[in-house]
Amino acid sequence: METNSILRCENGSTRILKQLCFSIPENRITTIIGPSGAGKSSLIMLLNRLENLDNGTIYYKGNNINDYPVTELRREIGMVFQSAYLFDGTVEDNLKYGPSLQNKWDSKNADKLLDLVDLPSSYKLRAVTTLSGGEQQRVALARTLANKPNVLLLDEATSALDVNTTKIIEQLLERIQQEDDITMVMVTHNLAQSMRIGDFSLYLQEGKLIESGVTKELLDNPSTKELKNFLNIKKA
Amino acid sequence: MDTTEISNLSLTFLIVFVIIPVSLSYWFSLGLSKSIVWSSFRGVVQLFLIGYVLTFLFSIPDWQGIALWVTVMVLVATINASKRGGNIPKVRMVVFLIIAIIEVSVLALWLGFGYITFTADKVIPISGMVIGNSMIAIGLALERLQSQFKEERGRILAALSLGATPKQSSLMIVRKSLKAAMIPNIDGLKTIGLVQLPGMMTGLILGGVSPLDAVKYQIVISLSIFVSVAICAMLVTMVLYKTFFNDKMQLKVIDK
Ligand SMILES: Nc1ncnc2c1ncn2[C@@H]1O[C@H](COP(=O)(O)OP(=O)(O)O)[C@@H](O)[C@H]1O
Ligand SMILES: [Mg+2]
Repeated sequence: METNSILRCENGSTRILKQLCFSIPENRITTIIGPSGAGKSSLIMLLNRLENLDNGTIYYKGNNINDYPVTELRREIGMVFQSAYLFDGTVEDNLKYGPSLQNKWDSKNADKLLDLVDLPSSYKLRAVTTLSGGEQQRVALARTLANKPNVLLLDEATSALDVNTTKIIEQLLERIQQEDDITMVMVTHNLAQSMRIGDFSLYLQEGKLIESGVTKELLDNPSTKELKNFLNIKKA
Repeated sequence: MDTTEISNLSLTFLIVFVIIPVSLSYWFSLGLSKSIVWSSFRGVVQLFLIGYVLTFLFSIPDWQGIALWVTVMVLVATINASKRGGNIPKVRMVVFLIIAIIEVSVLALWLGFGYITFTADKVIPISGMVIGNSMIAIGLALERLQSQFKEERGRILAALSLGATPKQSSLMIVRKSLKAAMIPNIDGLKTIGLVQLPGMMTGLILGGVSPLDAVKYQIVISLSIFVSVAICAMLVTMVLYKTFFNDKMQLKVIDK
């Protein structure tokens, strides 16, 4: 698969992560896998500068990410977390949060955004506390998409949901990725999920990037003993 | 003023009142006897000591007494309120400055409008009320600010990730902290006089001042306290929410 890389990390390190070199292909889904505590969340939060590198450089579209205004970078590189973290109020209050910060909200957007995540537009006025877990996560996704990001970071975004809801959200993500040409970086501890929707994968362990490559090749034919072990433990 | 003196002998009969809850505590095995006795004893001794201190302060030149005691009150209030701020950097300095500024401003207003004269027996009790209430409000605001930053870490990260600045992302919890700090005074103002006569008014009426004159004083005091509390809470949250972020608009890691 030939693609440009949209994000690239050179010799990045933090207190937790060591010697990171990787690149994220544009308009593809990259999954980050690895045991819990490996530093997956720490890594993904570097990409929208919710955390900082101590050494090394991350490039976004060829430019050092530190050269972008932080808020602008975070709008272009959106993020969805394991919990929806919705704000108090209605669904629409949440959807308009990002755009309103720049006075760019048009109430017609709410319908489009809800449609994007397969929720009826009548949900606009629902209080977020009345939604199910899966619905909340869809609203969180729509809230992030409201900023029209180029890159979407997902940190275990489906791991709090049941199997069916997870699959529905996966299909949603694949559709959005293809229709809107969004690059996705998805942390998951779910190997089957990685297989289903990942194009590329990074395997992280104890703060180190052990192996990376095309998802199917990586998971079917791991070349390091670390990843082999990890896959065996997961299968057992 | 035709004040009724309370004799020392009649005061000692109050011990009877303490014996009642102590016996109840024994009877129901509440295990409270020790703390009832201790806190009553401590309260009495503390008040007598303050009585002597005030007598002394009122006997020296007014400005000396005022300067000395107001300083002590501001410092004690600072230490007390800052304790609720845990390990927020520079919390003591900020709290000290806020309480000092409020105290000086309120005093200037009171003297300016001629509500009181610059004498120790007027300035000290009123300062005590303003400083005491500000201390409680700041303490509540700090406590809430800290716990909210911990509890709402996820939502703040979500707001930051949507392009919010630190100020925008903490608006929600700054509001909650302000509310927490002001609610006791808001509730107090709403029911003032209906449930409980304010301590100062009770004191004035017992001391022989007519109820309406006592009310006027109480209005001035209550409003001054209310305004001080509101301003203190706003200043302390507006200044200190920033310390939870670094200059890269990132939420700092809270160790512990
Ligand atoms: N706020 C924090 N303070 C201190 N250590 C942390 C903090 N967050 C994560 N860590 C540590 O950093 C390491 C990586 O954590 P994380 O990135 O959350 O891993 P993962 O997402 O792969 O489970 C872990 O060892 C964890 O204990
Ligand atoms: Mg994680």
